[in-house]
Amino acid sequence: MTLATLAMLAPRLAHEFPVADAAGPEWAAWILWLPALSTVLCGMCAALRVRNKLPAWITVSLLSGSFILTAMLFAGYEQPVTIHLVDWFGITWSDTTFVANFAFYVDRLTLLWMLFVTGLGTLIALYAGEYMEGDVGAGYSRFFAGISVFLFAMTALVMADNLLMLYLGWEGVGFASYWLIGYYYRKPSAVAAAKKAFIVNRIGDLGLALAVYLTWHAFGTVQYAELFAAVQANDFSAEAGGWSVQAIPFLLMLAAFGKSAQLPLYVWLPDAMEGPTPVSALIHAATMVTAGVFLLCRMFPLMVLNELALPVVAWVGGLTALFAASIAMAQHDIKRIFAYSTISQLGYMFLGVGLFTTAGAAYHVFTHAFFKAVLFLTAGAVMHGFAGQIDLRKVSGLRHMPGWRVTSYTMLYACMCLAGVPLVTNGFWSKDAIMAEAFAAVGPGYTALAIIALVTALLTAYYTFRVWFRVCAGPVHYEPGLEQHGDAAGGAFHPRPPRLVINLVLLTISAGAVASIFCAEWINGMIEGSTAAGGLPAVHEAHEGAGVWSDPHAWMPYVAGAVGLVGIAIAWYLHLANRTAADDLKRALQGNVVSAWLPRAMENKWYVDELYHGLIRAPLWLLGHILNLLDRYVLDMVIVDGVARIPRMLGRGFQPLANGVLQSYAVSMVGGVALIAILVFVMPEFLEMLNGWIGGAR
Amino acid sequence: MTWLWPALLLLVPLAGAVAIMFAPARQAKWIALLATTITFVHSVIVAVAFEHWHDGGFDLEAVVPSLGMESMGIAVRFGADSVSLLLVLLTTLLVPLCVWGSFSAISRRVKEYYGWLLVIEAAMVGVFLARDVIFFYVCFEFTLIPMYFLIAIWGSSNRSRACIKFFLFTFTGSLIALAGLLYVAWQYAEINAVFEPGGGSHLSWTFDIATLTSFAAGTLSASEQRWVLVALMAGFAVKVPLFPLHTWLPLAHTEAPAAGSVLLAGVLLKLGTYGLYRFVLPMVPVAVVEYAPVIAVISIIGILYAALICWVQDDLKRLVAYSSVSHLGFCVLGLVALNPLGAQGAVLYMINHGLSTGALFFLIGMIYERYHSRDMAELGGLAARMPVWGFFMVFFTLASVGLPGLNGFVSEMLCLIGTFTASATAEVYPGRLGPWYAAAAGVGMIFAAMYLLMMVGKVVFGPLKEPVVREPAQGRALPPDLCWREIGVLIPLAVLCLYLGFQPKPVTDAAAGSIETMLSAYPQEVRRYVARESADG
Repeated sequence: MTLATLAMLAPRLAHEFPVADAAGPEWAAWILWLPALSTVLCGMCAALRVRNKLPAWITVSLLSGSFILTAMLFAGYEQPVTIHLVDWFGITWSDTTFVANFAFYVDRLTLLWMLFVTGLGTLIALYAGEYMEGDVGAGYSRFFAGISVFLFAMTALVMADNLLMLYLGWEGVGFASYWLIGYYYRKPSAVAAAKKAFIVNRIGDLGLALAVYLTWHAFGTVQYAELFAAVQANDFSAEAGGWSVQAIPFLLMLAAFGKSAQLPLYVWLPDAMEGPTPVSALIHAATMVTAGVFLLCRMFPLMVLNELALPVVAWVGGLTALFAASIAMAQHDIKRIFAYSTISQLGYMFLGVGLFTTAGAAYHVFTHAFFKAVLFLTAGAVMHGFAGQIDLRKVSGLRHMPGWRVTSYTMLYACMCLAGVPLVTNGFWSKDAIMAEAFAAVGPGYTALAIIALVTALLTAYYTFRVWFRVCAGPVHYEPGLEQHGDAAGGAFHPRPPRLVINLVLLTISAGAVASIFCAEWINGMIEGSTAAGGLPAVHEAHEGAGVWSDPHAWMPYVAGAVGLVGIAIAWYLHLANRTAADDLKRALQGNVVSAWLPRAMENKWYVDELYHGLIRAPLWLLGHILNLLDRYVLDMVIVDGVARIPRMLGRGFQPLANGVLQSYAVSMVGGVALIAILVFVMPEFLEMLNGWIGGAR
Repeated sequence: MTWLWPALLLLVPLAGAVAIMFAPARQAKWIALLATTITFVHSVIVAVAFEHWHDGGFDLEAVVPSLGMESMGIAVRFGADSVSLLLVLLTTLLVPLCVWGSFSAISRRVKEYYGWLLVIEAAMVGVFLARDVIFFYVCFEFTLIPMYFLIAIWGSSNRSRACIKFFLFTFTGSLIALAGLLYVAWQYAEINAVFEPGGGSHLSWTFDIATLTSFAAGTLSASEQRWVLVALMAGFAVKVPLFPLHTWLPLAHTEAPAAGSVLLAGVLLKLGTYGLYRFVLPMVPVAVVEYAPVIAVISIIGILYAALICWVQDDLKRLVAYSSVSHLGFCVLGLVALNPLGAQGAVLYMINHGLSTGALFFLIGMIYERYHSRDMAELGGLAARMPVWGFFMVFFTLASVGLPGLNGFVSEMLCLIGTFTASATAEVYPGRLGPWYAAAAGVGMIFAAMYLLMMVGKVVFGPLKEPVVREPAQGRALPPDLCWREIGVLIPLAVLCLYLGFQPKPVTDAAAGSIETMLSAYPQEVRRYVARESADG
């Protein structure tokens, strides 16, 4: 980007969002310390081998404390503030100081994220208290310590007042995710999934780390308040006007795509479903995976420093949405379907950010957190009740079974939200905000992008209701999963319907989903007063034009609603009214030579895992082995040992001297003395020579 | 008698070693524990009383009088600045833990074993406290002898090859380094030669490190500095070790007993980086500026090369040994960044690596004591059998991976940010590296996660897999999980890892003055070099 375009963007950058310059209340520090305390207490429970539900109650009570404090902070909010907790980094030299403390930067964006993170965190911990009861006395404390660590890290990530603390939270949530995905640590697939999640995330983390260094390099600070002030004042060093500042958006993107499972780094999220289902709901659906969106919103003033950056975000988001939806259509594992749908919905959020509608993206983050949490928690209830059964072909007619009404109908509502059923669902409104913008915005190939988004909405409605029609509707039949506990070992299997706590949590979060229908304006306000506000002027510019058909915002609700209903109708026909038709369709596709590859590729996730394995992992592994052999046999045994052998070979030349004959010893002694004498006399000369050779000019 | 105060840090362990010689074998370990604990307490008192934590000055300066070498300029001269003292503290902390951690592992030739541990402590402390080149060198080389015996007597199957290679490799290297230092001393003696009235002259030798350092930096020509740099690097790069001079390390580590590995990784490798910090950087700034990119590239190759090798190891100790090669690459990178952030990172790295990798070697030793195996093909899922051990293993692995909140992150981040900002155009501290160096080294972060998580994934997690336990060498069997003594060895290290992760400021504050003194010549040298380059180009 040239300086001229930078100047063109300047008014947009100058769009005033208030930068914190006051100190906030000190009690807010407990929002971070309470989860930390909870971690320590759960750790003590593990060390003391507590054999009851104490860890769950500790976690729930402390996390709810964190939520209440967040709500209080929100209630008393007037302007952006910083809150200093404790010193962390502080390195001074000359007149420069590298500072990064444990401190909060609280603006509306922070509060928006913290409200749903701590709120849903508390509710899901409550749910997990019942869900994980089979592990009381075994991994129960470990589980809740992990949940607490996650909340600690997520709080650090969202509330940080500098990029290093954000990085701490960023890697911290990755670690918590590693911990909890690998919760069933004796299961090799769980261990592998945990490892994969951490390593793929680390690739993104490298991007974030480099972005932090670059920010320090270009702006001389990593603290938000100073950073945003510098951006608003266009006050960065001359060097920063060159490539360095413009690379920051792309590095941030890499980080965001890793954490939020976008192309090309999405591969860890489906495998992360190896973790216990409450973890999938909390970390891998509602909160942690939105950290990427948060990062871009927080750093939005820097994202606009390169005019190419946001179109790239939009395109990656749009393509990911379509790609993941296509995979979700062909999976049989309910949790994996929801995982791919999470990737797809995150794609919509990035699409929103890329289209400058940060408010739309944040709204979708907010609504998605509720309905996706419900989807996972209902899937968890099914797993809990059917001994780990998660294949949608093996459970049917759930809503007709006794005790499953709450689960079936909250799942129905959440499915409606995800499918975007008009008017009554929050997902309809938030997705609409983004898709309308896609048709309205002007940018490289944005019309195609808008059509992709629309097609994805159709696929989404289809695969979502495929699950519901298969599992909750239709004739009653079920097969238990493999995790049969002692009670069912002998006799016939009986499903265990969820009890009070799980139902209560499901209903509460569903109520939250209903409530969030009315939150659009509120979220607009929350974004407008925050660092993500840089995008808003562009949104308003795009509204120019007259007539119903020239303003996509006017007709989008009808089109999107219709598309969603069509998707549901297709799902109804194939998976409820005429279930054999789905198999017929698949058979027809497979029978045709031209199209046979399609269902197979979709079922096998487009072979992306295999591709990565073949192109990256296997060559590296091979290289590792080659280097290992090289190190051991060539470098060590040939070169090093070879050099060590030189003196011995030289020694062998003199070996005839040691022949045991007295005279020859005498001769060699004389020779030695002569040699020493020569050295003594010649040495000074030699040293002079050496000196001249080494010395050069002084 | 002021010299006695620092000298006691060496003399107490030596006295302990002598006492062990005359004591019965079953008391050896208690004497060793007592002597090392006294030394630790003493070093803490010294640290508390130290007055130059913030200004980079030297304290504890004292010369042991009348040893008869004054005429040659050689003296047993003590002195410590904050960085030396931090490393002394690391040493005096690790050695008692090594002694305590060896209680059940060593049942053969007990007296000699603890004797050598005490001797090596004295030598290591001597290196960090020396302010005289000859004294430094003697201590530096003297660390080899106890380590040689620790490996040769209490090592595993391939120990004879390992200890010979270890000894010859490092000895040769340090001989060359000595030659470099002697050259500097000789030049000093010549230039400052005293002319006698009769027309003759005699050289005025000194081996005082401070004098020689300022002399070398100020007087030696660029070409001389280049040669001295090469000579010094030959000694210190072997110790660090930098690629491709590292091949002694995996062998020595795999064969050494647990405590030997801990000291090797924890302290002996730091002698190399400390040598860079104390000698190379201050002595030959012109040459360092010239060769900084070369050293950096070698470090980065080492980081990536060793990391990939780690990834395909089956032997736990070999894996962690190669990880040291990879990790210390970051440390050297931070040093040649030539700015305070990088140097702070490097100093912290020396301490942090000692804590976390030292702990990993302890943990592997504990496994080896129980199963007599370090083979990851034989061991698996040990968390099911040893949850406490599993907890510590994961904890220290994460410290090593560089998880923020633990110590490894702080030093790695500072080294990389120092490297990143060390571009020629930087304002206050220009350098010769830059973003691409940091980005390449940063790939090492991903590799580190790959091989370390592979390790815990196999050994700690997964289905339980235990080798057939052969009869333990010592009569009494250990409990399946860690006993209180073993937990006690690990807890101080774990606490420090956590503390330094959240509060690196005490260390960075302490090191700041010393670092600024050390780097004082560099901004100007770099600018001069860059100006000359652009004039030529």
